[in-house]
Order: sequence, then C-alpha cells, then structure tokens
Amino acid sequence: MDFKFSDEQKMLQESARSFLKTECSKTFVREMEKDEKGYSPELWSKMADLGWMGIIFPESYGGIGGDFLDLIILLEEMGRACLPGPFFSTVVLGGLTILEAGKESQKKELLSKIAGGELILTLALTEPSTTQYDPYWITVKAQLDRNDYLIEGIKLFVPDAHVADYLICAARTKGELNSKSGITLFLVEAKRPGIKWEPLKTVARDKQCEVAFKKVKVPQENILGRLDEGAAQIEKIIQKAALAKCAEMIGGAQFVLDMCVSYAKEREQFGRPIGTFQAVQHHCANMLIDLEGGRYITYKAGWMLSKEIACTMQIAAAKAWVSEAYKRVAILGHQIMAGTGYMEEHDMPLYSRRAKGAEFAFGDANYYKKIVAKEIGL
Amino acid sequence: MDFGYKREEEEFRKRLCAFLDQELTEKIARQNWEDKGVGPEAREFSRKLASNGFLGMSWPKEYGGQGLSPTYDFILLDELGKRWGAHVPLDVGYTMVGHTILRRGSEEMKKEFLPKIVRGEIEFCLGYTEPNAGSDLAAMKMRAIEEGDVFIINGQKTFNTEAHYAEYHWLAARTDFNLNIPKHKGISLFIVDMDSPGITVRPLWTMSGERTNEVFYEDVRVPKNRLVGEKNKGFYYMMEAIDSERNHVFTPCRLMPILNDLIRYAQETEFNGKSLALDPRVQDLLAQAAIELEVAQVFAEHSRWMESNGIPMTYEPEVTKNFVSEMEQRLVNAGMQILGLYSQLEEHSKWVPLKGRIEWYFLHSFMTTIGAGTSEVGRNVIAQRGLGLPRA
Repeated sequence: MDFKFSDEQKMLQESARSFLKTECSKTFVREMEKDEKGYSPELWSKMADLGWMGIIFPESYGGIGGDFLDLIILLEEMGRACLPGPFFSTVVLGGLTILEAGKESQKKELLSKIAGGELILTLALTEPSTTQYDPYWITVKAQLDRNDYLIEGIKLFVPDAHVADYLICAARTKGELNSKSGITLFLVEAKRPGIKWEPLKTVARDKQCEVAFKKVKVPQENILGRLDEGAAQIEKIIQKAALAKCAEMIGGAQFVLDMCVSYAKEREQFGRPIGTFQAVQHHCANMLIDLEGGRYITYKAGWMLSKEIACTMQIAAAKAWVSEAYKRVAILGHQIMAGTGYMEEHDMPLYSRRAKGAEFAFGDANYYKKIVAKEIGL
Repeated sequence: MDFGYKREEEEFRKRLCAFLDQELTEKIARQNWEDKGVGPEAREFSRKLASNGFLGMSWPKEYGGQGLSPTYDFILLDELGKRWGAHVPLDVGYTMVGHTILRRGSEEMKKEFLPKIVRGEIEFCLGYTEPNAGSDLAAMKMRAIEEGDVFIINGQKTFNTEAHYAEYHWLAARTDFNLNIPKHKGISLFIVDMDSPGITVRPLWTMSGERTNEVFYEDVRVPKNRLVGEKNKGFYYMMEAIDSERNHVFTPCRLMPILNDLIRYAQETEFNGKSLALDPRVQDLLAQAAIELEVAQVFAEHSRWMESNGIPMTYEPEVTKNFVSEMEQRLVNAGMQILGLYSQLEEHSKWVPLKGRIEWYFLHSFMTTIGAGTSEVGRNVIAQRGLGLPRA
C-alpha cells in the first residue's frame, strides 16, 4: 500500500499547477466560454510543448509513456483551473480510443500528431433518441456502398466537434437499435462533405455539439478496431473517460474547498470569522469527506487500470460517487460563499456549472449504480 | 502509488482465512461483537488466534510479537470483520490500550502486560466517560490523590463497556485540582485491577441488548507503579492514541456481511413471482451501499497507510470513523427498506428474515455515530485540524 506520488508525478503536478495558474486565469476561462472556438491555439501548442498531449501514449508513438495515474494527475490540475479546450476530447476520447482499437499504421500516424498538438479529435457517440445515458443505443447507420461506408444520422453532445480534425463515430453496421453487437467505430475526417455541426448552449458553456451526418462517405480502412464489434471498445473508452472525468472533477472540488476555507477564515459576521461557526465548519468537513473519498477511489481505480487489474466495480463506484460528491461540494460551496458566490463574476459558478455538466458526462450516478448492481450479483 | 498487498501479506491472509473458516463460529463472532460479554468460547478463540501466530504480528519481538508492519493487524481485523467478527476478542487491550503502554509505559509495565496482550490472555476496559464528561471528556471529575506509595481514587465512570469481564480498568482520573490550569492538563492514566476493593460495577443495558456498565470507585488504592507514563499527561496519551484506535475499530470490512446478507436475500426472495434482485429500487439501494463501501475502504486504506508508515495523522482516521459509522446507518436503513414489514421482526421471532441481524444492526447503529466521539465532534476535528478553521 502506498498513497505517495513518485517524484516525477509530484513534479508533473507542481509544474502543471503553476503553468495553469499563469496561463489559464479565470478571466481567460470566462473569455473562452464566450469564444467561438473555446480554446486558445497558442496555449494549445504550449501544452503540446510540455508533452501533455502525449502523456499517456508510448514513446514509440511520439508520447512520453506515462500511465493512467499520470493522466489523472494532469486532469486534476486542469479541472482545478477549469481549463477550456479540447484536451479531454483529443487525448482521452480520441487518442485512447486509437491506442485501444487502432491499427498499427493508424496509431503511428495519428498518435504522434496528437502528441505534437497537431490534431484535435473527438468521439461522436451519444444520440438524441435517449435521454438516459446509454452508449450502446446507436441509431446512426453506416452502410457499405462498394468500398466505402455511408454514415447517416445525428449525434448529440459531441464535445469540441466544431474544432475537431477527426471524429470517431460509433455507427450501427448491423443489428437492433439497442443491441451491443453490430456497432462499428469509424475514424471520420471532420471536414468530409455531409457533416454539419452546431454548438449547443450548455450549463458549463463547454463546446458540445450536435453533429449531423448526411451520406458521409468513409473508406473501409477507416474502421477502428473490428467491424460490428465496437461495443467492447466503447465499454473500455467509457470506463477510461468516466475515470478521467472523475480526476477533472476532484480537481475542481479541491479548488472549491480551498476557496471556501480561506473565505471562511476571513469573512467576519457577528464580530468573528464565519469559519468559527460549527455550522460552517461542518459544511467544510462534509466537503472534505466527499472530496477525499472521491480522490482516493479515483486513484485506486487509476492504479488498477494501469496495472491491468479488473476494475469495473471501482470505476463505477468512482464515477457514481464523484458525480454526486462534486455536486454536493459545489452546493455547499455556494452556501458558504452566499450572495457573493451567486454573482456571475465570482469563481463559484464556474465550478458549480461544470460540476453539473460533468455529473452527466459518460454516465451519472444512476447509470453506474446499475453497473454496480450487476457487479454485486443482482 | 500502490494499492496492492505484498506477497507475504497475501500469504498471511490466506493462512488466516483458512483458520477463521475453521474456527470462527457464529457464537464466537457474536460474543465478539455484540458485547454481551466475551465468554469462554471467545476467550479460547483468542488464545488460539495467538498460538497460531495471528496475533502480535506488528508487535515488537521483545514483548512476544513479530516486529512486522501494522498491515498484518489490519488484515486480521478485515478478515474477522468479513465474518461478523468485527474485532479481535480482547480488543481494548490489543487494539487500543496496548499501543499506549508500548509508547508510554515503563519497562516494568511493558513486560508485565504486553506479552499477555499479545498472547490474547487479558482484556482491559476503557474508563474515560463520566456522567458529566462525554464529548467534553477533559471535564472528568474522578479524583486520584497520592498518598504514600498509592493513589486513592474516588468517583464514577459510565458507559465502560467491557467492565464486567475485563481484568483491568484503563482509567483516566484527575490528579491536578488546580482550577487555574486548563482542565486537560490535570489528568493521568492508570491500570487498575478490576478486583480491587472499592470497585463496584453495575450493568447498563443498551437498546440493542448489549451490556455496558457504570463503575464506582470508593477509596480504591492503586499502586504508584500502575500510573501510566507521567502524571498529568494522561489526556495527551489518550489523544495521541485516538487516531490509531479509530483505524483499528472503524473497519469497513465489518459492514460486508450485512451487505452480503442483503444481496443474498434479494437473490433468494420473490415477491409476486418476481425476484427482489430485479427490483430497480432494491438494486439502487444495494448498489449505493456497495459504492459507499468501496469509498469507505479507500478511506481506511489511506489512514492505515499513514499509520503503517509513521506519517503523522491529524484528521484522516476521523474521516474514516465518520464515514464508516454514518455509512453503517445508511446501509442498515437500506436493509430495513428492502425487508419491509419483515424488517421489524426480532431474532427468534416466527418469520424473521436473516436471523434478525438487520433489525439488531438497526438498533445497534445508533451507537456508532456516538461511541468513541460523536460525528459532530468529529466534524469539528476535521474542520479545525484538517482544514485549519479557527476555534470559536
């Protein structure tokens, strides 16, 4: 048992925190919420120079050969800073999928470009026909037309599609709408004719899009992984994405707690700091319990993932717990910050809005409770 | 980072499991846990644990231990907990008092008590709480006055749970009566033979049927060599022991058998031709409990890791204690909801499901957020020591 980070991991954490402190101010975060692209290409290339985009890819593909815990450390800092932009989409949803399912040639070509900051990717998975999260409910069709597939249908909540170079699209090549078999992943150039995207207005003001595919022609060799057997890959991607999202969320929750504790020490009412009141102390203690539980279960699942130990249960527990925990932390944060935290210009809403978005990303607590129920034999 | 166990630790666990599956009967487990009093079976089990080499792994060799990491004791507690055992039979001595004797006791005291603790032969009961000193423990009034080569002790303790079967009282009493010093600076710790003249033990019966006690002292003479460490330092010793005590007492594994019983019940019970295991409401309740148990375990793993590596703990075991005790109440409540009308049936009643364990736990679980410090005091500790918030 060892809860310590290695020296390299500590360095990564410290350098990421200080880099983001200077490069990703809250003013910048707010600007990007209104910005059409939603990220700064200049900052993007600086991040690439630091090796961040290649953090989890093997050196043979131009990465730096880190493991999932390294990625977690980095994402925690990004969550803390509310870093805007397509890092998560590109590295987690795009890069890890290619690493998992791609052919050697696809990995060689694409991963090194991702690591170099030259490509933006995303995953087009969810669709309008389900309100409850179900990554296997695929109606978007891909039909073979001589040597190409024609993709047709609408994907929803596709993050960063508006700036992506490639979309990884899960399409049905066979079977019933909600069947796990007959799903295939396609690597689609985002500029292909027939693709139309439109950004959605979301609570976190992140850039999630509707993406409409109209007879989009994709060559057969762009299949990622095996024909009709994409569900197994989707399951792995969603697990990793959910855990990666947990890391982002605990970074955000930590910022909220830190902010509240320093405010409670300074803010005086009734002639003394509000942090002396037990009601406020207990709010803060509850935030800490929620946060630290989320952090350790995230680390544990990340460690298991990097050791290739089966961890469906731990990942499900992590996302179920952190989704609710971050929400509670944000709610208590507002309670402590009171009126001032209700103001648009305050940092508090940046976090509570993101907590809400992240709660539903890759499955909320209810989704994961169903998975846990299965794991415990119900 | 590493969430695994070492090969030797896993081997120890394997041997231990084989032993427990053979030796730990339901009767012993319940004597162990329900505090009706450790009977002859549990005493015998305690000696067997020791003679088979499962007690004392983490204790120094000169006092009969193996000198290894506390991890072994945590493995022992986990495996007992998974089998309704909750703790070692004589746990106040083994998991609480013994560590303070080791840290603060004289060499003579260590030699006298530690080998017996490690052999699973003696038990202590904590003598802290008084009728007017609960959460505000330092307000205790029990008086110990030096006279010649003894302390003469008078006063009353309450909720001293093992007093009716322990050989020794681990007693905190006031030894400095100066009202101008902070009240926690005048308290000392003593080891008192429970059969000393002047001690009266009276039962207090709890709502879950467990026995606890009031203990009265009337001119009880305690030899000076039974003062633990230095005079007037007792409160500090109690506080420095508290983190490790929480790590050893509030083990998430003891909630596993409750959850497993409920899962089995859901799998085996049908209502209106449909398995309870397929009821979304039942699934939701049990999945939530399983998730919380995963979280409870990482809390415990974290604070145990700190203890095992000598990293100073400030609030971490308090978090584990808070979480595990409150989770127990939520889990039991979920269990009661799943059992529905049947949940009200007591053990031995006609129609009782799961031997009445859930009903008993429901009654018992009121204690967990109170005993060893309330959740509210715990949250003060987390806020003040963990987050540096100012005291009022």
